[in-house]
Amino acid sequence: MSTTPTTPKLDSKCPTGPVSERWDKHRFELKLVNPANKRKFHVLVVGTGLAGASAAASLAELGYKVSVLCIHDSPRRAHSIAAQGGINAAKNYPNDGDSVRRLFYDTVKGGDYRARESNVYRLAQVSNSIIDQCVAQGVPFAREYGGLLDNRSFGGAQVSRTFYARGQTGQQLLLGAYQALMRQVGLGKVALYPRREMLDLVVVDGVARGVIARELVSGAVERYAADAVLLCTGGYGNVFFLSTNAKFSNATAIWRAHKRGALFGNPCFTQIHPTCIPVSGSYQSKLTLMSESLRNDGRVWVPKSKGDRRSPDQIPDEERDYYLERIYPSFGNLVPRDIASRRAKEMADAGRGVGDNGMAVYLDFRDAIRRDGAPRIAEKYGNLFQMYERITADDPYKVPMRIYPAVHYTMGGLWVDYNLESTIPGLFVLGEANFSDHGANRLGASALMQGLADGYYVIPATIGSHFAGRKLGAVTTDHEAFRTTEAAVRTRLERLLSIDGKRSSDDFHRELGLVMWNHCGMARSEQGLKTALTKIRALRDEFWHDLRVLGSGEELNRELEKAGRVADFMELAELMVLDAEQRRESCGGHFREESQTEEGEALRDDANYCYVGAWQHTGEGANLAWTMHKESLTFEEVKLTQRSYK
Amino acid sequence: MLSRFGAFLRSSIGKKSLMAFTGLLLILFLIAHVVGNLSLYADGDGAKFNAYAAQLEALGPLKLAAELGLVILFGAHIALGMRTYLENREARPVRYKDLAPKGRRTLASMTMPVTGIVILVFLVIHIIDFRLADFSKQGLAALVIERLSHPLGAGIYFISMGFLGVHLWHAFQSLVQSLGFRHPAYLPAVKTVGMVLGVLIAALFATFPILCLMFKGQWPWN
Amino acid sequence: MSGGHDTHSHGLNLTLHVWRQKNAQDTGHFETYSLQGISEHCSFLEMLDQLNEQLLREGREPVAFDHDCREGICGSCSLVINGRAHGPDRETATCQLHMRRFHDGETIYIEPFRAKAFPVQRDLVTDRSAFDRIIAAGGFVSANTGSPQDANALPIPKEAADLAMDAAQCIGCGACVAACPNAAAMLFVGAKVSHLALLPQGQPERRKRVLAMVEQMDKEGFGNCGNIYECEAACPKGISVENIARMNREYLCASLTARPQGEAKGGF
Repeated sequence: MSTTPTTPKLDSKCPTGPVSERWDKHRFELKLVNPANKRKFHVLVVGTGLAGASAAASLAELGYKVSVLCIHDSPRRAHSIAAQGGINAAKNYPNDGDSVRRLFYDTVKGGDYRARESNVYRLAQVSNSIIDQCVAQGVPFAREYGGLLDNRSFGGAQVSRTFYARGQTGQQLLLGAYQALMRQVGLGKVALYPRREMLDLVVVDGVARGVIARELVSGAVERYAADAVLLCTGGYGNVFFLSTNAKFSNATAIWRAHKRGALFGNPCFTQIHPTCIPVSGSYQSKLTLMSESLRNDGRVWVPKSKGDRRSPDQIPDEERDYYLERIYPSFGNLVPRDIASRRAKEMADAGRGVGDNGMAVYLDFRDAIRRDGAPRIAEKYGNLFQMYERITADDPYKVPMRIYPAVHYTMGGLWVDYNLESTIPGLFVLGEANFSDHGANRLGASALMQGLADGYYVIPATIGSHFAGRKLGAVTTDHEAFRTTEAAVRTRLERLLSIDGKRSSDDFHRELGLVMWNHCGMARSEQGLKTALTKIRALRDEFWHDLRVLGSGEELNRELEKAGRVADFMELAELMVLDAEQRRESCGGHFREESQTEEGEALRDDANYCYVGAWQHTGEGANLAWTMHKESLTFEEVKLTQRSYK
Repeated sequence: MLSRFGAFLRSSIGKKSLMAFTGLLLILFLIAHVVGNLSLYADGDGAKFNAYAAQLEALGPLKLAAELGLVILFGAHIALGMRTYLENREARPVRYKDLAPKGRRTLASMTMPVTGIVILVFLVIHIIDFRLADFSKQGLAALVIERLSHPLGAGIYFISMGFLGVHLWHAFQSLVQSLGFRHPAYLPAVKTVGMVLGVLIAALFATFPILCLMFKGQWPWN
Repeated sequence: MSGGHDTHSHGLNLTLHVWRQKNAQDTGHFETYSLQGISEHCSFLEMLDQLNEQLLREGREPVAFDHDCREGICGSCSLVINGRAHGPDRETATCQLHMRRFHDGETIYIEPFRAKAFPVQRDLVTDRSAFDRIIAAGGFVSANTGSPQDANALPIPKEAADLAMDAAQCIGCGACVAACPNAAAMLFVGAKVSHLALLPQGQPERRKRVLAMVEQMDKEGFGNCGNIYECEAACPKGISVENIARMNREYLCASLTARPQGEAKGGF
């Protein structure tokens, strides 16, 4: 791998002036690409989730030549499809005082002041257009009897700004974007390559000019050349092995790009979602999220006394501790995700958890059912209750749900500027794959908003700056850089196949995940992180000596695919720990035990850590190393305050 | 316009709706047929029945046109049935070990091609028996009673009506679905009517071999 | 009650007959494996994970199967289990099926979704891109990204929106095809035609859409509908065959009223 460790310039390219006019101003200042010239530019989109599908469709509509790589057999299977709860927008339809400014404010504050104001304001601004666009596509959002759109309030928000389609909002939004994408495929404007996994980025003269991918059915290693590359490959929560992410969700695309020179922003910022179905056994392959919307009607509690093993209906109200309502009287069960998660962990650590292993808390619908009746509750959460019962064999209408936090989302990702361009020119990163808009904690129903904002509205405007502003020579797949990058990919595949050890990649992955969960999960400490670092390095070494992959590279080989992904997770894990170690403050999802208030709330350190940690890869193999650069964050519109949800 | 209609006929849904449409007309024909046949029971000497037959005969070219229509109806229905059957087989070249039922599939819905083929064989026998036979001497009623009084003839007719019943059990609600008229409000009624109608038509037809075998035309009620 | 986990159980012992097929050209065959001590709380796919771990330990190549979200929404998982698409449970995808539905000592046959239009790529992995081509033919609303009218400018009756959502829930897994004795794709296509035909946004392209989608469906080599309704029973989302009737109606109307190609362009 040849990374030239020159110090990159972290120019966020954020416009200046009044925050509400910045996006307009920026768009005006961006160079435009002549409509007739657009077809001459070839954009390669990797990933077909909300960000990728919406970007590919929108760019093709504008006239660009677009190619799309998709790891699944169909673009519709990307993991955006699993988002349940909803999508935020500042429409203020319910007339409850919402506005673009309030959505902006809530997102900056919810992210614990670790996101750029300019980015977040733009996100809030385009949120309304997203809803309009989705409705125009035929997305069947929930409606009221008068035929108008219904809204609900969602974790952490005091206004009802969340649009939803039953418990399948992500599915419906993704199908909307997917259909728009397939329309372009049908029109011949987009070339779709399913079952392709990107294994490396090709950089020519410092500019991203294509990728090397593996066709997963035949195993063929292929070259794709383009004038710009868009990574829309999602987050890296699967570094923990157990997460709510899908099994194919992985970090390989962004990690390969990182190792080719793209800086990685805030890698330690991980979101642990408070309402997931608890782990039930060692065979567990993934965790299932129960939508946060359940907290609108469900009440979270644990027994007041330690080790109370009575069944929940035997525990009278006065012996229950509705701890979120007790600690946070004004937000109650609707506190942001990081807080709800950490408090649940506290209860379990204090021996007051429930379930077989005490690693769960109750989410109880008894009072909601008494108040509204079971049919009304079924209407709102029927499919979630059904899903829960199917997995646990418990009926949530009768028995309180058992929930526990699980890794859900990664706010960190490749560093991008206001144009969504990484530190490698021509490489754009959209959606969860970038680090941008959520700071240290993402609010519920904001991921869908960001993915679609990036794809539908931001990239179509900003990609022009790359095409119109730079001289791009013609590059084909015969270029030397393609040859050497492909050779590197092949060498790596060969190496994975030839170790001939004893342990499966899943086995390594599971162990890595446990190290991360224990030491770099909901609470992080100096000591724990140091332990993690030692363990990760040892495990990585063992991985490269004791991995077993059967079969060859010239066939559909799931073990080989997994091995490559786990190899990358092994390195990414180290970077996450390093980032967590250097950030000796608590903010959002990042909780350093050394930095908390007397009441156990996260304590931010704005004087020292009000920056984005952007990591540059500087050494490979045994000399794996990084250098961190800082992009300092300034807050002109939202006053830096300690979050309080009391 | 023609090409559009051709495309319609070649399409899966076009074939199915044409199957449904011809099937609907065939059901109407069967109703008329069985009602006409009931005149055999009206008297002991078959005079009413022969008169009904003569009436039809007297229609002359109209009767010929009706017969031609029936040939087309049957022909289209059978051809479409065979065509879709073959296409369906081709649509799954490698079979399952055993495709088990998970839903509401019925004997009738699963055996439409089989029952259809049995009915086709019966149809040939039936046409040879009565349409192409010379009954100028004894009259049609006597011929019917003679044929159906024989255990073999009665057996063939009775069993075939069984297959017809199974075919019709699925037919009516299926054609409503294929023509797109399904509506949740009317669905239960459609299903009931369809089944009752199917069974009733087949049962009424089946009375002929049974009663002929039992009474040889000497109806006890006359 | 709260846990519900039977810690006394030693787990299930199973005999699996799994379809193995090297690639699309291979003819394929069943292989038999025995598996011991499977927890009844693990999912069907987690049971297969354990089978694969076992095979890997024994130096035999693991079974390839499609899966991803493992929560019943991505539509990746498939499998015909003892002759039933997605296994014995209603409205349940294979990934949501749990081993408590099976008993100790049970023999389980595991096959891929079989249809000419879904060629097997390896073992239990099939190519379902035919569905994508059907969507590409017309399963969309042609609304370019831009600034459409306000989302609330067009009220939609709740009932229409709910019915559209019922149809739009389709996860595109292909169980309808797998379960259909005729390998027909009517439920998949019917669901998308219905979703868009029920909404005002779908009206401008309503006729064109159904004609194009059905044409593509036929090209892909799916079978014909026999109104047997196994599709509805196999559908993990319980999508109603009413959507097929709606598509039939839409197709009939569109066929009977379609104008010749290009007529509208010229005018007088």
